[in-house]
Amino acid sequence: MTQSGEAVIRVADLKKYYGDVKAVDGVSFEVGRGEVFGMLGPNGAGKTTTIEVLEGLRPPDSGTVEVLGLDVCKHPQPIKERIGVQLQSVSLYPRLTVTELLDLFGSFFKHRVPTKQLIDAVDLGERAKARSMNLSGGQQQRLSIALALVNDPELVFLDEPTTGLDPQARRSLWDLIKGLQAKGKTVMLTTHYMEEAAELCDRVAIMDHGHILEMGAVPDLIGRRFKERAVFFDSNPKLPADGLAKLGGVTRAAVEDGQTVLYSKDIPDTIGALLSMADGLSVEPHNLGIRQATLEDVFLDLTGRALRD
Amino acid sequence: MKTLLGLTVANIKSLTRDRAALFWTIFFPIMFVFLFGWIFGGSGGDTRISVGFVDQDASGASAGMRQAFSSVQILTLQYGTLEQEQAAMQHGDVSAIIVIPKDFGAGLTSKQAHAAVIQYYIDPSKTQVDQIVVGAVTQVQNGANLTIAGGSEVVSISPQTLTSNNIGAVAYLVPSILAMALMQLGVFAAIPLVQQREKGILKRIGATPLSRWKLVGSNVLLRLLVAIVDAVLIIGIGMVFFGVQVVGNVLAAGAFVLLGAGAFLAIGFMLASFLKTEEQATGVVQVVQMPMMFLSGIFFQFDFLPGFLQTVGRAMPLTYLADALRQTMVNGTQIVPLTTDFAILAVWLVVCLGISTRFFRWE
Repeated sequence: MTQSGEAVIRVADLKKYYGDVKAVDGVSFEVGRGEVFGMLGPNGAGKTTTIEVLEGLRPPDSGTVEVLGLDVCKHPQPIKERIGVQLQSVSLYPRLTVTELLDLFGSFFKHRVPTKQLIDAVDLGERAKARSMNLSGGQQQRLSIALALVNDPELVFLDEPTTGLDPQARRSLWDLIKGLQAKGKTVMLTTHYMEEAAELCDRVAIMDHGHILEMGAVPDLIGRRFKERAVFFDSNPKLPADGLAKLGGVTRAAVEDGQTVLYSKDIPDTIGALLSMADGLSVEPHNLGIRQATLEDVFLDLTGRALRD
Repeated sequence: MKTLLGLTVANIKSLTRDRAALFWTIFFPIMFVFLFGWIFGGSGGDTRISVGFVDQDASGASAGMRQAFSSVQILTLQYGTLEQEQAAMQHGDVSAIIVIPKDFGAGLTSKQAHAAVIQYYIDPSKTQVDQIVVGAVTQVQNGANLTIAGGSEVVSISPQTLTSNNIGAVAYLVPSILAMALMQLGVFAAIPLVQQREKGILKRIGATPLSRWKLVGSNVLLRLLVAIVDAVLIIGIGMVFFGVQVVGNVLAAGAFVLLGAGAFLAIGFMLASFLKTEEQATGVVQVVQMPMMFLSGIFFQFDFLPGFLQTVGRAMPLTYLADALRQTMVNGTQIVPLTTDFAILAVWLVVCLGISTRFFRWE
């Protein structure tokens, strides 16, 4: 299951309930050294609770949780020296500069990376003397990642690292995270962006209602469910669903986000049949396109609803 | 220890770079000292109070009274009828009115108890002025009584006593304002704590090897440092600009500054234990500090409060910190003995700290 055989994270049957709410309800997984592992799911799926148990911030109700070969309940302190945790907000000291904050956080750890090196690593050289409150959203996220790296950790936790960023800032942060992997670090991140998980993660666990529904490499997850590609289009009025499902090559017809989607084993056959059916009903399909099935389709198929709901 | 120092330095930098925070923690109390210093003190002898003097008796005795009052250096007398003077007082031209009623002289010669009466009108809203006027009237009255009863020399009125009374007004205010500053310093500490918890910062710090108590400890250190800076500045300004003489025990005063700051910080932490959002914290902190500011004898003497408000004031820890600072710094008249002040503040410190450790939540 893991790449090198050595598991950096080992979770078995983890449960965490809050009263009647089963935030995490029997989750098991392993993350190998050097992997980028993503937890994908909507808000309230249990991603953050899981990651906080791993970081030693919450005690599990039951199950075993090992990080870097140590039990998180018994040895939280040595684990904290060796992991990096991204602070979602760097506003602890908004009036300290980038350099001052990195120096300060470095002083919390026994082992530390020189501040200059960290600043270069996240490309904040020009803003080294800027107060953190004056950084842009993307720069603040870079700083928060630099703060997670002050102790040269073996394992880095990133909780929704790109939430709220514009596409350009998100891309540049993705490059940064890929760079971590290149340096041999293990990264565990949570996200509710499909593209992010597909772009960054070696393996993804899809979570919903406290359970892991499916886990594996992104192409495998898609291939496991969808041998076919998808034809999508808008039309007004909608074409009859039972008619669509009978078109050539179509395995399944669905309406996703207001768009009609036809999963097909034979795209030319399907498009030909679709156009003649539409023509017969005097309906013009527009925004017609073809795509591979995505993680979004996997999620929809698993839960019956779109991830962004 | 090194991390604690590092965090404290980070706190100091954050404070000195934050103009709003600097204003509230340091300049606001200083502003109060200047404001009240100018209002009530100035440079002592220069301040004279205009008082209306109404002689309805027009006798030898009333002329004596007129003589006696006009010899009080701090009072400037303005003569007229009661109606004229009342109008003048309502306009603010005079601050008080002294009336020698008809039959004053006759009453004086009768030597019967309470036969001769000096009336005075004061504005209860002008407490410092009232103190001086009442003091002057009392002294004239005492002098007259002694003269009549003992037949001995007229006891002269001592303007020095009045002057020192006047410095006393500022001397009273300076330690009181320091007490207020320490109270605000401590109680307001609840706001950043609630804010940092709300943003998840306190929780996240728990994922680093840094102990969260060091984070709190560095905050305590910062605020104790600010307490010392406040004390030095406020007392210094009182001494340099308003001639306040620190005659008490400096060590004891310093100890009370730290104890008071500690007690109010504990109250701040206790509030932070029960408040969930920043909005709540800002509101509740005001609800806590406002009544204390006005019912603990900061801006006027505690004795001037009506009885039931005194009872309320006696329940407030600020009353005792202000009392202790006045006693140790300027030999102020005590509300309770110093040992009682110490005991009450120590109990507040210990109890609130206990409640905080029991109920404080990091997330």
